Amino acid sequence: MHFRAPRRFFAILAASALVLMAVGVVISNVGLHREYILMATTTSTRDTGLLSVLLPAFRDATGIEVRYIAVGTGQALDAGRRGDVDIVIVHAPMLEIQFLADGQGLCRNQVMFNRFVIVGPRDDPASVAQATSAIDAFRRIAENESLFESRADNSGTHTKELELWALAGLSASTFGSWYERTSQGMAATLTISNERDSYTLSDDGTWFALEGALPFLRLLYSTDEPVLQNVYSVIPVNPAVHSNVVFEKAVAFARWLIGLDAQRLIAEFTVNGHPIFTPAPVGGC
Amino acid sequence: MAGDIVDITLLSLYVSSTSTLVATAVAVPVGIALGLREIGSQRLLKNILFTLYGLPPVLAGLLVFLLVSRGGPLGPLGLLFTPLGMVIAQVVVVTPIILGITMSVVSTVESRLKETAFVLGADAHQLRVTVMREATAGILTAVMVGFGRAISEVGAVFIVGRHIEGQTQVLTTTIITDIEQAAYGHAIAVGIILLVIAGLVYSLLYRLQERTLQ
Amino acid sequence: MTMSVEVEALRKSFDRRNVLVDVDLHIPPGEILAVIGPNGAGKTTLLRIVDFLLRPDAGAVRYDGRDGPADPEARLALRRRISMVAQNPRLFRGSVFYSVSYGLCVRGVEPPELPIRTLQALEAVGLVDRLHARTSDLSAGEAQRVAFARAVVFRPDLLLLDEFAANLDPANARILEAAVLEYNRSTGTTVILVTHDMFQAKRLANRVALLYEGRIIESGSVIEFFDEPGDPRTRAFVRGELAY
Repeated sequence: MHFRAPRRFFAILAASALVLMAVGVVISNVGLHREYILMATTTSTRDTGLLSVLLPAFRDATGIEVRYIAVGTGQALDAGRRGDVDIVIVHAPMLEIQFLADGQGLCRNQVMFNRFVIVGPRDDPASVAQATSAIDAFRRIAENESLFESRADNSGTHTKELELWALAGLSASTFGSWYERTSQGMAATLTISNERDSYTLSDDGTWFALEGALPFLRLLYSTDEPVLQNVYSVIPVNPAVHSNVVFEKAVAFARWLIGLDAQRLIAEFTVNGHPIFTPAPVGGC
Repeated sequence: MAGDIVDITLLSLYVSSTSTLVATAVAVPVGIALGLREIGSQRLLKNILFTLYGLPPVLAGLLVFLLVSRGGPLGPLGLLFTPLGMVIAQVVVVTPIILGITMSVVSTVESRLKETAFVLGADAHQLRVTVMREATAGILTAVMVGFGRAISEVGAVFIVGRHIEGQTQVLTTTIITDIEQAAYGHAIAVGIILLVIAGLVYSLLYRLQERTLQ
Repeated sequence: MTMSVEVEALRKSFDRRNVLVDVDLHIPPGEILAVIGPNGAGKTTLLRIVDFLLRPDAGAVRYDGRDGPADPEARLALRRRISMVAQNPRLFRGSVFYSVSYGLCVRGVEPPELPIRTLQALEAVGLVDRLHARTSDLSAGEAQRVAFARAVVFRPDLLLLDEFAANLDPANARILEAAVLEYNRSTGTTVILVTHDMFQAKRLANRVALLYEGRIIESGSVIEFFDEPGDPRTRAFVRGELAY
């Protein structure tokens, strides 16, 4: 009698644990084939808010649900390489080409582009607003040794920033203490710039979304130069390499994104009243 | 992006309660058995356990991620980005904690108690049960600490679950993504919900513990 | 039922300190033997060896003429015929009922026999009304009486008492002593009583042995021991003059 209670207790404990795990199996859809597409995209893509418009529209049109993970560019492509997702949307053309060359991607549709812009302190000590080109703007910042925040996280934005320094004939590794590395996402980096009155390179979507919360920063340089274009593409993962991917639905999504309806939604999409995306459909899928 | 807060709260509760329950079912019996062993063999064990206390949830998350990703050994089970995967990751984090505290509490049950049971004729199993009964309050503490770790950690659930809407969004990952998007007000609100939930669970467990201390 | 105990050439030392040296005892079934001596003489160690809590360095203890069995199940069966009450007993968390019925439950006794015998044991120590009290709410005297009830409820063949009334006021001590005598009379159980109280030894025991600095100096019937002790140390102890 004294010794039965623990046995009972452990039996209940083990039983509840098993029941809850079984619940987990059911809600996790373990083993069963997925109905929805799983997509990997970047945090900046998520932060523009465009997905909240596009994904429901796609579901209404085709009945196909798209769920996504928002990670760094590198991790998004890695998720594709591991076969953990069915499709990726990224904005890193060089890495995308490599991805396809490695046979990881089935095909590629270019969807749209937005811009990189330079934001900085209201008084603009380096006179970036008067720059004649993006490269010139970066040169001014370096010459003036103004505080600059780099994302330093191997993201698409960081890659573009390094490209601009290189085009200006400069190397980020030689910069002094005015060049700061945040190792964080765009929103966090903009917040840091706002706190420290520094310059930074941002995508226009995130800038316009957060502008209201960044009173000490101003949009200083925004043009449609090709070098500032941030091109987004969608790549379904190659089913020949990963047989588990839901590739027919993924390809359907890739095609829908360059179709008329999606492209219209993209063109009409605004953040705080600013249109950010330019439709640029180029189909390979 | 930000799903229904009720769904998020329920999933948080589900993942952390399940992982704590599973970890308890494994760690408490083992902790009792180990705590009753002679002192000598315990030193190495305690060293290993104390190191595992410090196992960062992010590392546990990474290990489970590599395990359940498509490329990994458990890939075909499809556990990545699922609640069950998150539960497994948290079990890895919480089990050493519950095991270590249980072992500690049991080994410090005074030898007088064990001798008394022995002298009254208890065999090995009955002795274990008696010690466990005396250590119940301490074992409940172990469970509470374990649950606290589970409900408040973000590293493991974020890496294995990835905060997918309608699927793997919990309170802690919501706070992280809110901060990523500079939605600080929402993050604080979610944080308050998390504290309230944790507080409710603790008060339940405290009440249970009080009863066992009589 | 009952048991005979033979202790032969028992030796035990801790950290090079000799606690028991060549201890010999013969205890026939049903006898109450009082082992007296100054504190630290080794009396508790002796009891702990008899009840399998300690292993001797040399020598043997025989139960009913046989050595302690090697087979673990037989060993457990033998152990379950022996019981001990310590000086400051440790009651279990929970109700008095839980503690007292513990030994019965260990031996597989089930309701309705279990509560009946538990009540009987409590009656013998005058604590029936405390059946559902929390052990943490008991006074020292009540706790000691409960510990005694707990130790005898399953009718052990050998009862070891270690200063079992040392911290009790005379009234409570009397209750327990009466219970010991009654228990021995009705069941014939063998009792080894360790005490430093000579008067208690006189009241309860058939035979007395003096354990001094780890050795049995003298043993004999109560009358022999107290009225005509042979050894001068015994005489000194009886007169209250023997120290360390």
